[in-house]
Amino acid sequence: MNDSYYGRPIVKPHVWKPFIPWYFWIGGMAGAASVQCVAARARGDNELAVVLKRAALAGALIAPVLLIADLGVPQRFHLMLRVFKPTSPMNVGSWILSGFGGAVTASTVAELLGWERTSRALEVVTALLGPGLTVYTAVLISDTATPVWHEAYETLPFLFAASGVGAAGAVGCLFAPPEQFGLARRTMIAGAVGTQIAERAMEHKLGPFLFEPYKTGKGGAFKRVSDFLCLTGGALAVAGGRNTVTTRAAAACIAVSGMFERFAVSAAGKQSAKDPKYVVRPQRERLGAS
Amino acid sequence: MELFEATAAARESATYEEQQPRKGFFTDTTLCIGCKACEVACKEWNQLPDDGLTFTAQSYDNTGELNGLTWRHVAFVEQIRDGRADAASGGEVVREQAGRWLMESDVCKHCTHAACLDVCPTGSLLRTEFGTVVVQEDICNGCGYCVPACPFGVIAKRETDGHAGKCTLCYDRLRDGETPACAKACPTESIQYGDLDELRRRADARLEQVRANAHFRDASLYLRGEDDGIGGAGAFFLLLDKPEVYGLPPDPVDTTRDLPAMWRVAGQAALALAGVTVLAALGARR
Repeated sequence: MNDSYYGRPIVKPHVWKPFIPWYFWIGGMAGAASVQCVAARARGDNELAVVLKRAALAGALIAPVLLIADLGVPQRFHLMLRVFKPTSPMNVGSWILSGFGGAVTASTVAELLGWERTSRALEVVTALLGPGLTVYTAVLISDTATPVWHEAYETLPFLFAASGVGAAGAVGCLFAPPEQFGLARRTMIAGAVGTQIAERAMEHKLGPFLFEPYKTGKGGAFKRVSDFLCLTGGALAVAGGRNTVTTRAAAACIAVSGMFERFAVSAAGKQSAKDPKYVVRPQRERLGAS
Repeated sequence: MELFEATAAARESATYEEQQPRKGFFTDTTLCIGCKACEVACKEWNQLPDDGLTFTAQSYDNTGELNGLTWRHVAFVEQIRDGRADAASGGEVVREQAGRWLMESDVCKHCTHAACLDVCPTGSLLRTEFGTVVVQEDICNGCGYCVPACPFGVIAKRETDGHAGKCTLCYDRLRDGETPACAKACPTESIQYGDLDELRRRADARLEQVRANAHFRDASLYLRGEDDGIGGAGAFFLLLDKPEVYGLPPDPVDTTRDLPAMWRVAGQAALALAGVTVLAALGARR
């Protein structure tokens, strides 16, 4: 007779404020930037490397502010590091972010003091933690009962990784001198292409029913903007070749596209938790199958 | 599943000075009369303020849901056939059964594999010597991770003080050998408290009795077993209809069960990130 309790949610939607999707973007960008920084150093693209390092530093400094602002009891932020707990991706992430922030800050200080070898060594440390910083947030949201997040756990880390790579490349193109665009241009395009592939893979994995939250409401709106900017940016970057103006325009599109991507994931997650059909139907199918 | 084995081993090696038999609730919804004494007793004992005076227009349920300030919630399900003629009855007015009300007092399930406890980054959520799951309010920093992690939508962040809240199975009362406030106040013994083993035996017998009645052939025990996605619950229920009718998930799973696979995929994605960067570094400078 009834198939839900007055249509009320069964699982609770997440209660994170927009600080969190902002953090997902800036943390993802910073992590990928740290890796590209070391790659740029290896190539001798030092000006690009410095831009990427500043991006990583900015991310590492802004991220904790966003995270602490979201806490219900902000003065207790340090309790995140009270334990080391591998079953909690948020705890693991707090350690990664702390290590990353410490390393990039120390590396910058060493650079200012003129200790070049120490600074470079710390850049490598930062780059070792960077990929973890970019992808752990995907594990964090997958490890919930939110239907479109949990069921997409096989594809979300790739989506976040691709989007992070694209954003870091875009930041490189926006601020580095044009004669050192090469690496950043290619990562930016790879990121845009990877984002689109990961999205298709996620759509396939979720299936038409569970993908609905990415097509309707706020989740759908954010995703359409993100896709439009991602495709426009990618096309501009490829068509414009090595032209500085088109590359920078493309970079702006791809960077902003990544932000909308994280807002789409956040909103779609909320929508899928709010409507009990997204919880009940997959669980019923699972019971029917077993 | 390796992770479950690891956490189970950790639990067994955890040393409480006085490890107690696992305690729980058996909520027999056939006996619930919807008096909400459990809700009131819970609020009074745990000193929980009201969470807003709202009129939901959903039967007699103006509580709506479990949240950080409401740890018992009585659901009122109205299954009323209106008795009017419809096409299926060939225009004849059908009145074979006027319908029924289902009432169920919902509560935290105190899962064997508790997602809230697994994902809590501060270790604020812990398992007590009674096998229950409790928030240490002085540790919780209100990160909100437990909220979407719970497969039952039980735990929530409270506006009043910013941290997470849920049923403690009256931990303070248990330590003094007392019955939790809701079970104590329940006038029909719909809420039964005790050792989980004993409650399960009692529930099996009760189910047989209920099913003997032709009206209640669909009755079932919800979360009674240990082979479900949460490894069994400390609070389980006798239901007369499908779980989703009461707002409960039909096949809840502790999300952490898939965490090793998630980290594996994340590792691959991290490697892909590094690999793509290396490849991109091989091309031209401009």
